[in-house]
Amino acid sequence: MTQKAKGMPKLFASVDTSVKELVDLEIRTATDTAELTKDKAKSMYKSMEDIRNFEENVKRFFTAGEIPGFVHLYAGEEAIAVGVCAHLSDEDYITSTHRGHGHCIAKGGDLKGMMAEIFGKATGLCKGKGGSMHIADMDKGILGANGMVGGGFGLATGAAMRNKYKKTDRVAVCFFGDGAANEGVFHECLNMASIWKLPVIFVCENNLFAESTPQWYSSASRTIAERAAAYNMPGVRVNGKDVVAVYEVAGEAIERARRGEGPTLIECVTYRNHGHFEGDEQSYKAPSGEEKEWAEVDPLEVFRQYAIENGLLTEEELDQLREESVRDIEEAIEFTKESPEPSPESLYQDVFAD
Amino acid sequence: MSGKVFDPKGVLQDVESKFEMFQILNENGEVVNPEYEPKLSDEELVELMTRMVYTRVLDQRSISLNRQGRLGFYAPTAGQEASQLASHFALEKDDWILPGYRDVPQIVWHGLPLWKAFLFSRGHFIGNQIPEGVNILPPQIIIGAQYIQAAGVALGIKKRGGKNVAVTYTGDGGSSQGDFYEGINFAGAYKAPAIFFIQNNQYAISTPRDIQTAAKTLAQKGIAAGIPCVQVDGMDPLAVYVATKDARERAVAGEGPTLIETICYRYGPHTMSGDDPTRYRTEDIDNEWAKKDPIVRFRKYLEGKGLWSEEKETEVIERAKEEIKEAIKLADQAPKQTVTDLISIMHEELPFNLKEQYEIYKAKESK
Repeated sequence: MTQKAKGMPKLFASVDTSVKELVDLEIRTATDTAELTKDKAKSMYKSMEDIRNFEENVKRFFTAGEIPGFVHLYAGEEAIAVGVCAHLSDEDYITSTHRGHGHCIAKGGDLKGMMAEIFGKATGLCKGKGGSMHIADMDKGILGANGMVGGGFGLATGAAMRNKYKKTDRVAVCFFGDGAANEGVFHECLNMASIWKLPVIFVCENNLFAESTPQWYSSASRTIAERAAAYNMPGVRVNGKDVVAVYEVAGEAIERARRGEGPTLIECVTYRNHGHFEGDEQSYKAPSGEEKEWAEVDPLEVFRQYAIENGLLTEEELDQLREESVRDIEEAIEFTKESPEPSPESLYQDVFAD
Repeated sequence: MSGKVFDPKGVLQDVESKFEMFQILNENGEVVNPEYEPKLSDEELVELMTRMVYTRVLDQRSISLNRQGRLGFYAPTAGQEASQLASHFALEKDDWILPGYRDVPQIVWHGLPLWKAFLFSRGHFIGNQIPEGVNILPPQIIIGAQYIQAAGVALGIKKRGGKNVAVTYTGDGGSSQGDFYEGINFAGAYKAPAIFFIQNNQYAISTPRDIQTAAKTLAQKGIAAGIPCVQVDGMDPLAVYVATKDARERAVAGEGPTLIETICYRYGPHTMSGDDPTRYRTEDIDNEWAKKDPIVRFRKYLEGKGLWSEEKETEVIERAKEEIKEAIKLADQAPKQTVTDLISIMHEELPFNLKEQYEIYKAKESK
């Protein structure tokens, strides 16, 4: 904050300074002691590759006009969904956003069912009635993507309340963007989760732009993580392109929640490779400089390097996983193309119980 | 147990100490923070005391009138005089006030005729027809909604290059509303000249403050929006005055909004509409707060300066009673409100469907 101008009344000068000292603004990177097994490393890398390949294919088909509706691509942010969901089982809940494909894949959503859903096919996870922004899979604990900005806060907080009420050690994770952090429901849910010590983890994917609005333009606060202090909740910032860093921080927050110590706010600093939606001209993105350098950091490459350097996986193993992923996505596409459209009668199904 | 990657408890450890309550005058009327004692003239000090005493009488009379069925909706104000009137005392005539429903005293002292305030209580539309030149909005009934409107009014002031501010009030309950957050965040982003008050009177209807939020103070909600925030003794008129004055100067200088939490107490029920405070608080708690009374401590402070006496206070009380009597008479003279009134005051030009309804009710009313 540069507000501490000369001539400012003393009363607020002191308050202003104290606010600065309150929060830890460091961006976390992976520590040397990250505990990652070979199997875990494999599944995490495979999941990131799946998301990347899935998204690039969706982009291709959307551009060709083969996908109805609207798509928002997750490519570039893979490390966040994967780093967080690596700690979750099907029993844990997540709520997703309009940019939800990555969360669903990382949480174990079926690739075929997802691809078919995005194409509006009857074999889709929601029988083709939801599309990109409404993919849900209750069996996997995926409470749904959401077309509403900030729509997941209430759902995740409620799901966490259910977990606590039922005396389980399950958690709920709420993914949301930097824009959603300015919504009133953010304030209401973080407050409630903190006072009731609910097992929920609020994961902000700060990709620097709310559509085209940079964060500094829409709030006087410098970071999303510091906002946690308003609710007596811990807040932490992490490098959202480093899956190991996200894995570590999320692991600790999730363990806290399982132990009944309440919620955590995690801000993952990231960048989206594509536009806000497909078709976005992205004229707001910087063509050069610090932002451009950040844009060019590829979370998949970051992990490959980490895995090789730490002797977790060899280059051959990584390449093999990449090929496997390409094959899986091809199968999903084939499955989708062979799948039927929903019947007109199906519009009347799944609306009322009776 | 602190974590290995990040330290969740350490992050928050200092919050409480960083938000100590700001006080100038303690409960015995002694100046404990002389550095900040405002340089108000004798006349100004007497005027502020007069307004506080007057408003206490107004509250007592309003409760009686409500019980007699002569007023409608009423939210008692006793105990909050310093929070309400000392903050208002730091404002200028051209500042805008966006009150909550308990903030009738501020808008009355800002220029709303008392008889209109009584009509507002009765739900009569004339009560919300604000005279030209009085910069207030009608009291907001939706909890916290005035915060968003205040951000908008403040942005309007900024766009017009005004040297005034927008001031709004909510309660401890209001600070948990999404509108509260969006309001302070928006004003912060645009450095709009706004002052946001949380009058923390300890109970959101019946919900006590400590189960309202896990935060140690309500002032620290300002951190989330990145705006300066402070907790003030709301039973101390000088502290409230100074905090408001400083916040106003910041706002006018283009430094943006401020969030002020005033720690106070309402002696009465939440509203006169059936709330029984004995169900959620004890006499002991009431007595504790009565010791902190803003009028008692300010009286001591002024008596020490030779500025106040029993005669003076009696005079103010008598004058208040007289004026309240006159105002209620004026309110009684307002014409009965009709459905056609309500239809015709909403639009400059009536849409066709309302025209139709207007005619139907016109005919009924003329029978």
